[in-house]
Amino acid sequence: MADELELLRHANPVPSGDPRFRDRPLDHGAERHLNQLLSARRPRRTRLVWSLATAAVAAVTALALLLAGPSTTPAVAAPGPLVPLAGSTPVSLDRLAARAETAASDGSPRLLQGTHTQSWSLSMTSGPGAERPITLPQERIVRWKADGSHTELVVATDPRHPGEPVITDEGGDPRTVEDGHVLKRQTYPPSWSDAPPQAQPPHDVGKLYAYLEELNRDGAMTTPQLLDVTTELLDHWTLGARESAALARILADAKGLRPVGEVTDRLGRRGQAYVYAETATRRMLILDPATGAVLGLETTFTKDQPEYGVEAGDVMQYSAWMR
Amino acid sequence: MSNDEIFAAAYREHYWAVSRYVARRLDGRTSEVEEVVAEVFTVAWRRRSDLPANALPWLYGVARNCLSNAIRGYGRRRRLLDKLGHDEAARGSQIVDSPDSEPPGAWVHDALARLSPADREVLRLTAWEELGVDEVAVVLGCGSRAAAMRLHRARRRLRAEIDRMRICAAPGAETPRRDTPEAHGHG
Repeated sequence: MADELELLRHANPVPSGDPRFRDRPLDHGAERHLNQLLSARRPRRTRLVWSLATAAVAAVTALALLLAGPSTTPAVAAPGPLVPLAGSTPVSLDRLAARAETAASDGSPRLLQGTHTQSWSLSMTSGPGAERPITLPQERIVRWKADGSHTELVVATDPRHPGEPVITDEGGDPRTVEDGHVLKRQTYPPSWSDAPPQAQPPHDVGKLYAYLEELNRDGAMTTPQLLDVTTELLDHWTLGARESAALARILADAKGLRPVGEVTDRLGRRGQAYVYAETATRRMLILDPATGAVLGLETTFTKDQPEYGVEAGDVMQYSAWMR
Repeated sequence: MSNDEIFAAAYREHYWAVSRYVARRLDGRTSEVEEVVAEVFTVAWRRRSDLPANALPWLYGVARNCLSNAIRGYGRRRRLLDKLGHDEAARGSQIVDSPDSEPPGAWVHDALARLSPADREVLRLTAWEELGVDEVAVVLGCGSRAAAMRLHRARRRLRAEIDRMRICAAPGAETPRRDTPEAHGHG
């Protein structure tokens, strides 16, 4: 029997040669709409180049402060899954959400647009004889400026092994690069959007939930989907105390997140861990025990996936968010 | 080229590809497709300063949001929901082949319909739009590795649904038995 993607290809309801939608010059209606759009344009943006250059320099400078110097041994080892500290007392999410609400009463720290994330992820090969995956550590900083432009900087670095060479699959085959090697540096011109995740997240619980629901384009908001959209939110915004408290309350209301005790995350921070079991993976959410801020999210395989050279216990993805 | 010229070139180059993308998700109803595609390019026009060099996956991402918004309630909610409900019923009535018979279209759609919307989309983008993982990542707004993992999971679930339909299709029966879809974990 054909493979599932091949079957699906044959079931394409509108193939590219479909006479109604095949590639051809625009029809009258499409041409008219394009002309309407073009005739509605407004002049704007003449100061762009200077502001972008300034933002790029600022972001690079900020990152340079975080990175260490020369190196010797490649930091290739995959991080093991986080393990709760023996004897630590699990704190319920409900209780932590209540703490977060108290901690947010003065509104500090404030919400920031942009993110600062350290992540580890597996790069896998697939098929018979798949090689063992490699772990790619990255640090990503996104900073927005007042004029609506923003910069994104991604570097290869592993804070567990400062100064050591770091593995990357940039450009194809895995190789090592110096700690701090720039994988991506991009500047984006001023842009706006009133839709999540670009829109400012609210700090009211109900409104934040609606925001996350809008972010979740995949039907009903199950706990895995909530964790997915939480990741998406935190990859765009550095939450303030009030947004973190609202998010903690939403997470406390989600089903299936089980408190397992205290962990020390890969940036050396203490956090309370909450686990959600899935079919072949396990998610671990780590929250700041005092403020309820999300510190990290880890996904670990709980079953071997020989097709991808993956073994139970391999950490598929880990993100640690910082201010 | 100015942003406007780049946008116009992308519009001309990709108008029909975006139309096919939308049609595949609205069962090819031409009048609806044209309306949604107009909305897609209107949104894309407002965001034309973000338009990347490889514009098509980005446009698909915009189209995905427009379809999602349309279904959620920005204007066409009732009509679309009615149509979608209608199409579900119509599609159900067409399921007559077991997975071992040809052509596979109808029952593959049925297997696909049993998956979560997220799984369906990553599979359709790969099989119908023929996007690579990096491009799928652009549409879904996630990293390439996350997209690869989503595709891996979705393929596994589709395969499981197909296998389940094979088991359920009793020899000589007119239709495969339609079990209540199970709740799908995201593992």
